[in-house]
Amino acid sequence: MIFTNNLTKSYGNLTALDNLNLEVKEGEIYCLLGANGAGKTTTINLLLGFMKPTSGNAFINQLDVVEHSKQTKQYLAYIPENLMLYPSLNAIENLDYFSGIANKNFNKKTLESILTEAGLQASAFYKPVSKYSKGMRQKVGVAIALAKDAKVLLLDEPTSGLDPKASFEFGRLLQKLRQKGVATLMATHDLFRAKEVATTIGIMKDGQLKQQWSVDDITLSDLEKNYLETMSYNTIEL
Amino acid sequence: MIRNTLKKETKELLRDGRIRMAFILVIILTIVAVVISAWHYKDINEEYVSAKQSEREVWDSQGEKNPHSAAHYGTYAFKPKYPLALLDQGVDKYTGTSIFLEAHNRNEAQFDEASDQTGLARFGNLTPDFILLFIMPLLILLIVYNSLTKEKEMGTITLLDSQGAIGFKLIFGKWLAVFLPLFTLLFVLFITTGIILSSLQDFGVFSWLSLTTLFLTYIIYYAIFINLVLIISALVKKSGIALVLSLSIWILVCLILPKIASNIAEYRYPYPSKQEFAANIAKDKKEGLDGHNPWNEASKALEKQVLKEYGVDSLSQLPFNYAGYRMQKGEEHQAEIYFKHYKELKTQYSNQSRVYRQLAVVSPFLPTRFLSMSIANTDYATHWDFADSAENYRIKTQKFLNEHFANESKYGDWSWKADADFWKQLPKFNYEPPTLSENLKHNTGNILILFCWLLGSFVVLFFTTKSLKNVKI
Repeated sequence: MIFTNNLTKSYGNLTALDNLNLEVKEGEIYCLLGANGAGKTTTINLLLGFMKPTSGNAFINQLDVVEHSKQTKQYLAYIPENLMLYPSLNAIENLDYFSGIANKNFNKKTLESILTEAGLQASAFYKPVSKYSKGMRQKVGVAIALAKDAKVLLLDEPTSGLDPKASFEFGRLLQKLRQKGVATLMATHDLFRAKEVATTIGIMKDGQLKQQWSVDDITLSDLEKNYLETMSYNTIEL
Repeated sequence: MIRNTLKKETKELLRDGRIRMAFILVIILTIVAVVISAWHYKDINEEYVSAKQSEREVWDSQGEKNPHSAAHYGTYAFKPKYPLALLDQGVDKYTGTSIFLEAHNRNEAQFDEASDQTGLARFGNLTPDFILLFIMPLLILLIVYNSLTKEKEMGTITLLDSQGAIGFKLIFGKWLAVFLPLFTLLFVLFITTGIILSSLQDFGVFSWLSLTTLFLTYIIYYAIFINLVLIISALVKKSGIALVLSLSIWILVCLILPKIASNIAEYRYPYPSKQEFAANIAKDKKEGLDGHNPWNEASKALEKQVLKEYGVDSLSQLPFNYAGYRMQKGEEHQAEIYFKHYKELKTQYSNQSRVYRQLAVVSPFLPTRFLSMSIANTDYATHWDFADSAENYRIKTQKFLNEHFANESKYGDWSWKADADFWKQLPKFNYEPPTLSENLKHNTGNILILFCWLLGSFVVLFFTTKSLKNVKI
């Protein structure tokens, strides 16, 4: 579902992403780990078509995101680190609007059931989003993805700033989506959550994918060790 | 997408306390302005009807009198108040309401409202046109300035983009969310005004077509403002900057450019001072035929010519009273002098108007202002038309009186008096203002400029927001 081929993005002399090759298949969750500036967000932005690659290609559902920007967006959903919704609208209205933008229109009952599926408490449905915690907003983000029936989910540090309970709940939601066959690419700093939810984990540094494992092939402690080694190598190099 | 955005934006606008307050304030101001104007114009119109009637009664009941005495006694031409002056009083306040019609002189309109007011009048009145031309665009500005910047600041635009939002559809939804309430507000205002105007008696000829044209003019004006502020909101990142830029546009378009245009027009084509104008007329009059003075050169030449034409030796042998004949010839000569000087004045006015029209390209306010005044028959062109019509009536009146004097009396009999019933034979002065189609024809340039603004601003808005990538930057 997600495929990149030597995907590169440069800003003058700075290479933000360097020949990235990765693949996320249906029902897989790929977690990209890395320090700030490693190229994780650039990867997601390129897949979203928010920017054009300097070279290489990115594909969503076998469609080039540059050539078929409009069509690829039909298949994907995106949840940024700080999902901002319209504060004066409630969750139902926000979901209704964002679904409508994706040409998915539902009645109130269906919208309520989608929000329930996304884990939002029913008592919060009709409260203005301005009163929501970050975790609640992320759940609305998942609801938007569910409503869109997205085949691909792009997450940019979605658990950052969430309390452990909310982070755990979010992880469970991702597993639910995985069971539905959604291909997820998640940029994160959270090694523990990555180990818990991912099917594949990659570590990025300086725009390059340095290491990659199937989650079954690595323990959490090895993952942490490898991650720190990759980062400290960087420090020694500096 | 358009419908969804319209629905969402409307909900957001309704829930925004600032917008609610601004809307309520504008509605209250508009109602107050319309009610005050309606009372004011009703009073003025009653005064007009009453003055017109009583002045005619005074004229008709002069009794036996020499026609030339009646010519000096004079009468008044009253400028009617037009129904749409309720919405746009234009320059009416400064142009005077009546013209004294007398022998030998073309007088300016007098009793203008502005001269009856104190210095406080400089602050202006709360009138519907003030709200329509200045306050409504300000309301638009307050609603629209952060329409896109808030999406950028909150980050919702990124989510919208990922959902596959199409830039111009999103913008059109936002556009409609502002336009439709304004359209409704204006529609209610104009319908209410129409009902008030059609129910007022003796308030001139009210035309729903003129009201509809005025409505469309303002709707176009507001659409242009919505487009301009949306373009700014699309191009800048921060709401604060968008607000400052939008306010700057409002100040420039509504306040500064019209004043600059006025200054340029007056500088390039200045009007002569009143004294200068009067002195030039007096000079020309002095050099020509004076109906009162049989001894001046022109009078003597006329005398010779008439005697020769009729083949008689003395004026008393003529089949008419030569004094009346000379008076009429004097009037005709003076009318020509007035025609010449007023034509020069009108040429200056036309030149100034042309400069205005040219400068209207830089501000949608100017063509809207001119169109609005013209449709309401409260512009200078209508005033000129009224003044010309009054002058024509004055010339005809003098001819009517002089010819009666010449045909019915004998030469040298200055004590001759016309019958008391004679005055009633003078046709009444009835002024018909230019029709809507004439006004629109006269304002073709302004209409064209306004449409260019509308089309141009839509094109720029479309290309600015065609892709959300342009907006996100």
